[in-house]
Amino acid sequence: MTDFKKNDPRYGAMGYQDEQQLFEMIRRGASRRDVLKYFMASGATLAASGALFGSATEAFANTPKRGGKLIMAADQHGPNDTLDPALFTSAADYFRGRMFYGSLTRLTASLGYEPELAEEILSNADATEWTFKLRKGVEWHDGKSFTADDVIFTMNRHLGADSVSNASSLVTMVDAWEKVNDHEVRAVLSSPNADLPIALGTFHFKIIQDGTTDFTTAVGTGPYKVKEFKPGVRAIGVPFENYWSEGGYLDELEHYGIGDSVSRLNAFLAGDVDAMVNLPSKAIEQIEGTEGKSVWSLEAGAYNNIAPRLDMGGNFSANEHVWKAMQLLQDRQRLLKGVLKGQGSLGNDQPINAAYFDYCDEIPQRELDPEKAKWHWDQTDIGSTPVPVVTADTAQGVVEQCLFMQREGQKVGINFDVKKVTTDGYWGAVWLKEPICTASWNMRPTANIMMTLAFAPGAAWNETRWENEQFSQLLVDVRGETDAAARKQKYCDLQTIIYENNGMSLPVHRNYVDAVADHVKGLTYVPLNNFGGAEAPVTLWRDDA
Amino acid sequence: MYGLILRRLGIGVITVLAVSIIIFIGTKILPGDAAQIRLGQNATPENVKAFRERLGLDLPLYQQYLNWLFAFVRGDFGVSLASDVPISSLIADRYLNTVYVSVLTAIIGVPISLALGILAAMFPGSLYDRVLTFISVSLVAAPEFFTATLLVLVFVTFLGWGNAVVVGSAEGKGFFELIVHFALPITTLCFVIASQLIRMSRAAVLNVMSSPYIEMAILKGVPRRRIILRHALLNAIGPIVNVVALNLAYLVTGVVVVEVYFGYPGLATLIVQAVQTRDFVLIQGLGMIFCMTYVILMLIADIAAIASNPRLRHPK
Repeated sequence: MTDFKKNDPRYGAMGYQDEQQLFEMIRRGASRRDVLKYFMASGATLAASGALFGSATEAFANTPKRGGKLIMAADQHGPNDTLDPALFTSAADYFRGRMFYGSLTRLTASLGYEPELAEEILSNADATEWTFKLRKGVEWHDGKSFTADDVIFTMNRHLGADSVSNASSLVTMVDAWEKVNDHEVRAVLSSPNADLPIALGTFHFKIIQDGTTDFTTAVGTGPYKVKEFKPGVRAIGVPFENYWSEGGYLDELEHYGIGDSVSRLNAFLAGDVDAMVNLPSKAIEQIEGTEGKSVWSLEAGAYNNIAPRLDMGGNFSANEHVWKAMQLLQDRQRLLKGVLKGQGSLGNDQPINAAYFDYCDEIPQRELDPEKAKWHWDQTDIGSTPVPVVTADTAQGVVEQCLFMQREGQKVGINFDVKKVTTDGYWGAVWLKEPICTASWNMRPTANIMMTLAFAPGAAWNETRWENEQFSQLLVDVRGETDAAARKQKYCDLQTIIYENNGMSLPVHRNYVDAVADHVKGLTYVPLNNFGGAEAPVTLWRDDA
Repeated sequence: MYGLILRRLGIGVITVLAVSIIIFIGTKILPGDAAQIRLGQNATPENVKAFRERLGLDLPLYQQYLNWLFAFVRGDFGVSLASDVPISSLIADRYLNTVYVSVLTAIIGVPISLALGILAAMFPGSLYDRVLTFISVSLVAAPEFFTATLLVLVFVTFLGWGNAVVVGSAEGKGFFELIVHFALPITTLCFVIASQLIRMSRAAVLNVMSSPYIEMAILKGVPRRRIILRHALLNAIGPIVNVVALNLAYLVTGVVVVEVYFGYPGLATLIVQAVQTRDFVLIQGLGMIFCMTYVILMLIADIAAIASNPRLRHPK
């Protein structure tokens, strides 16, 4: 297992002294926040220091106790809750998936990977062929043995143009999955991808049994098996006695959704549930002041943005001066402090922040500058004509970023007509269709995956429809780059090109902010989603059980 | 009378059919379809197309409707477009929750409010009557979420009794356990329906009280209590039963706010979620349940009104 830590580029970065300091701090009872502060001050990146804390505290934490029951409250849930991993859409789906299923790899807090159902993961020199040696002796909930056929069946559901998988875009470069023998499979790629094992550790690539078509229940390899699953009502897991690894400590793990944030908070404060997702920012202080309850926050690269379509909207969104003015009208500090209550970080009009390994800290921070915005605006003939911006409340701060921009614009005679529409149907009817509209994005495991999904030319989610030849070339080149310095330079160039040319305003990155009672232990810190990146089900245990 | 009932049933069937067409058209007017919503931000033209084919959304509209209708007539609610789960299993659990809450609310709320209302009608203008009027008018004006918040504040936050949301399943619970399980939603809903029932029963009885035959009874010296319970009440049953039926229908179909606030899954929330996911099969199924609930309850109310009033039984 330790060998695989080497795949995680960050572990090598910590010197012996830092390591000793870290262990010493934790021994003295330093909190995650203290550790972050210390290592940030000494120049480590946000995610790296967070991850170090996570893995180091694991070594010191008490041995998990068995028994007890925990109730974890999600938010969005409904009749579309599913047990089909390829169709997962919500944080509730991801968490439930982790209870019942396993995957080939498991992501770590620093967004590297560890082997899970794959015991050993090998690639050829240019990362175009990946071999996964599968763990032997793993049992499905129904008693069958886990074999290569299950993996092939699962992976083929994500391939092909007619795949209904929500994650097929992460594996488009995979040409075929081949069975080598009962405990070994091979992925043959059309282009190099060093991130493949990381992509396979994400939510949608949970392994299902060969031939599964009925998803009313889950037959998985995970630590819990289904006791009850009703879409939009609840999921209850009980320990799977033949789970191949450590984990699944609770007698019962219940997961259900309380859609209304006030009710969810009430339920959490009253002790009806042991943890809740998406703590409203105005309740952060209240939770911090409550005995026995804590904020469970993950520093992440999720973001909100305003994207102009460069290929439409005539003189509005297609005009370079318009989007430059919009970027200069972002009141980033206020959004971060006022709306997110500090639970996030400043955005710099490009998607990669310090939570990513490949973050480039050399790009200067773009600040609020109405005068310069005015200058850009005067290069156009729009004058005081209102420019329409369509938005919906898809995440905290999305609507506010438009309102703040509108207000700053008014001061210098730039008018925006902010139209708020319902979140219901927003992604299908408005997003990518209006000349200027907003979006909210989750973090992706690597900078390359993020950029490939939303910035590569021709990508379906290329929000501004920009095309930059140098960028496309670099994005492909960097996937095969093995030299660390050259890799860093290339990622810096990629981020700079987006910063200068893409056209979107990206004022803030959001943290994932949940709340948890202090008797809940075994928290995870994978910054890809709520509840510790939905990785927590395996390790959760109850201190007072 | 049987002819009348049959005629009403016929009208009921036509109503249900008409409603199903209106709902169907309504779901198709909304932007986006089930395939797009289900794929959400992840939708690409290829997988949307693949999904539409799988869900049968590529068929012409009339065919989609007819397919659904024929299945429904055979008693098959179909399979949810949003999650591939049979509609009947999606509804089953929530239906129980809804039925428990509405029946318990009715059992507790209706008799109490009717008694209070009729009592007020016995002593119009008394202090009791005025206080009750004041309270019930205030309650009519208070929305459910306000009442619910107050109840949580008092009972959960200050007194520390019970839960802020409905926790766990209602399965296998006895009558009193169910009342405890749903204590706060039931109390909230009792307040909501009580105000209307009190006002209506009082008004209905007082209305009858001003008719000539009651004046005759008063002149004859019949005691007031006997006049109301024996002579006035029977004639006031028609309007009262109608209000009760409307309130019961509301309890089955319209308690979205209470369900959301107390975080228990019921039918009302389900139809909101179904609309959000453009799951027209589910919307249709629920629409039919709601519509039939209304039709049946109103039919019962009419029959009760007719049975209690000989004049309606023999129309001129």
